[in-house]
Amino acid sequence: MKKALITGNRGQDGAYLSRFLLSKGYEVYGADRAGDSGLWRLRELGIEGRVKDVCLDLLELSNIMDVMDRVRPDEVYNFAAQSFVQTSFEQPILAAETNGVGVARLLEAIRKACPAARFFQASTAELFGKAGEKPLTEGIAFYPKSPYSVAKLYGHWITVNYREAYGLHASCGILFNHESPLRGEEFVTRKITTAAARIKKGLQEKVQVGNMDARRDWGFAEEYVEGIWLMLQQPAAGDYILATGETHSVREFIEAAFLAAGFKLRWTGTGEGEKGLDAATGKVLVEVSKEFYRKSEVDFLSGDAAKAKAALGWAPKVKFQELVSIMVDADIKRLEVKR
Amino acid sequence: MKKALITGITGQDGAYLSELLLKKGYEVHGVRRRAASVNTERIGHLLRHPRLKLHYGDLTDSTNLTRLIAEIKPAEIYNLGAQSHVAVSFEEPEYTADCDGLGTMRLLEAVRLLGLAKKTRIYQASTSELFGKVQEIPQSEKTPFYPRSPYGVAKMYAFWITVNYRESYDIFASNGILFNHESPLRGEEFVTRKITRAMGRILLGTQDCLYMGNMNSLRDWGHAKDYVRAMWLILQAKKAEDFVIATGKQYSVRKFIELAAKEVGITIAWKGKGLKETGIVKSVKPVAGVTAAAVKLKKGDVIVRVDPKFYRPAEVETLLGNPAKSRRVLGWKPEISFEQLVSGMAASDLKLALAERYMSDGGYGAPKAL
Repeated sequence: MKKALITGNRGQDGAYLSRFLLSKGYEVYGADRAGDSGLWRLRELGIEGRVKDVCLDLLELSNIMDVMDRVRPDEVYNFAAQSFVQTSFEQPILAAETNGVGVARLLEAIRKACPAARFFQASTAELFGKAGEKPLTEGIAFYPKSPYSVAKLYGHWITVNYREAYGLHASCGILFNHESPLRGEEFVTRKITTAAARIKKGLQEKVQVGNMDARRDWGFAEEYVEGIWLMLQQPAAGDYILATGETHSVREFIEAAFLAAGFKLRWTGTGEGEKGLDAATGKVLVEVSKEFYRKSEVDFLSGDAAKAKAALGWAPKVKFQELVSIMVDADIKRLEVKR
Repeated sequence: MKKALITGITGQDGAYLSELLLKKGYEVHGVRRRAASVNTERIGHLLRHPRLKLHYGDLTDSTNLTRLIAEIKPAEIYNLGAQSHVAVSFEEPEYTADCDGLGTMRLLEAVRLLGLAKKTRIYQASTSELFGKVQEIPQSEKTPFYPRSPYGVAKMYAFWITVNYRESYDIFASNGILFNHESPLRGEEFVTRKITRAMGRILLGTQDCLYMGNMNSLRDWGHAKDYVRAMWLILQAKKAEDFVIATGKQYSVRKFIELAAKEVGITIAWKGKGLKETGIVKSVKPVAGVTAAAVKLKKGDVIVRVDPKFYRPAEVETLLGNPAKSRRVLGWKPEISFEQLVSGMAASDLKLALAERYMSDGGYGAPKAL
């Protein structure tokens, strides 16, 4: 039986990948920090208790070496990260330690304890930041725009370097935004779908958002973890973009989410004064708050996953509208179950 | 009086930059690590200068950097401190990241949170190693990076966090992407200095042979003295930007060896290929300051061999910089040629070798070979 070790397995991607690998017959080890936050995701996916817990922190090499030595994984997936862009401006050192140097520690441990293990590094479209060209492919130069993405850039290149210097089977997936009902509520998509559901149920009046003109390429996380797994099944390691190739603005996401919850929005005002009104009642449902603006904004991100399609046979099926509906429906359902 | 803070003041660039800034009237503050062995040789001649002040410190210690910057409130910070050796970074990847990568951010964070964003300008010592497996020839500010070592990856972190703090917080922070720059003050573990050091000793019989890694590597070599002037110019520019500092000319490591040997009177002939390649003495003629009796070398002696332990796990084959932007914007151009650089280093190291020989002939210790 193949053994997989997933860091950050209680996050969105870790949870979906855990379920996917269990369904493939893997023995799955979930490496997370102590505590029970995030267990709800495994519960919702019906796999609570089926993932073997190991305590692991990317800040501590001896801890990682010990885990590698005990588990001897065939595959290691590194999802653990300080994964929220805004927070990285407040805690840049922690972001660098976890998202950057932590990857070096993992690779060092693998090199010493289980060099035959295959390694996946969760790189991100945020690496492209200000790249400007569209759509983005694997060859385009990076231009990170936050301490989060500078740290992820370190994680990306140290993975490439260990592959080239030591022959490790280590691959980076440059993942464009991928969402789901399991997305953390601090992320803009889930914040919006939760708000739309709560407003529908009369539990909340309105929602505040940042830059609504930001455009992103949004896919469905459940499909992305399959692409990730495929990367590690290839004879040779490499780096792949996973993306849908479609972009939509945050404003479009808001419109679609509220529509899925039964509200048609009408926009008034501009800039910070822009508001989204319920077209039927005129009530303010969406407001702009400067608090959610980034210090340095990434305006446009669209990915070209042609390489993944050709080499891995991976192509996303869930597109924007369906993704938004899946998320809003799940949030409405959760509120109904809670009652 | 302008105050400057230099991290890595005890290194080659720190020494040349201190001299330059003191000459320009700056008050120069330097950060040195506490070490069991003396590490201030390169600035020994400046230690009594009334405008030079040294502080103990470390790029891995936020409290230290923040306090120093709060007390000094420098107008300019030059971040030259680093674990600066590529091969060592494969042995010490975590420390290299902490010092070279996070250390840079600790400085930027300190300047930001102390409210000095409008007052303090920051120079970040970036490197041609960022280009690693080069994506175009020659390399300019627009060439995508492809680092090939933990050192290169850590320095890439530092490069981008500098750009990010400039864009996010409007700090005057600039990267100088410096191609290889050498001098008689270069550390002896670096290949150029290792070569010039060896040639003097081999000539005088205190070292048998020079063991080398990849001699086909091509590098763009300049003189550190020219390059520290560029650092200063970068911080005097109208706006913060990133600059490639290079000569635009490229030579192989093998060529460097030939020139260094020639400077001490040795002509080398190459034989064999790859791991079997050797450098053999074709002829020797004494140069000024060396008597015929002191020369312990004869025709046919093998003085260069390859030892694979000096190969890097991932090699950088070629580096060639395009300095057009620094020429245009800063008016900078190097004044010391490659030939002058090599001959200056070889001559300086020949003197050191003569002194060592003299000491050992007098019974005062044996010279140690690397």
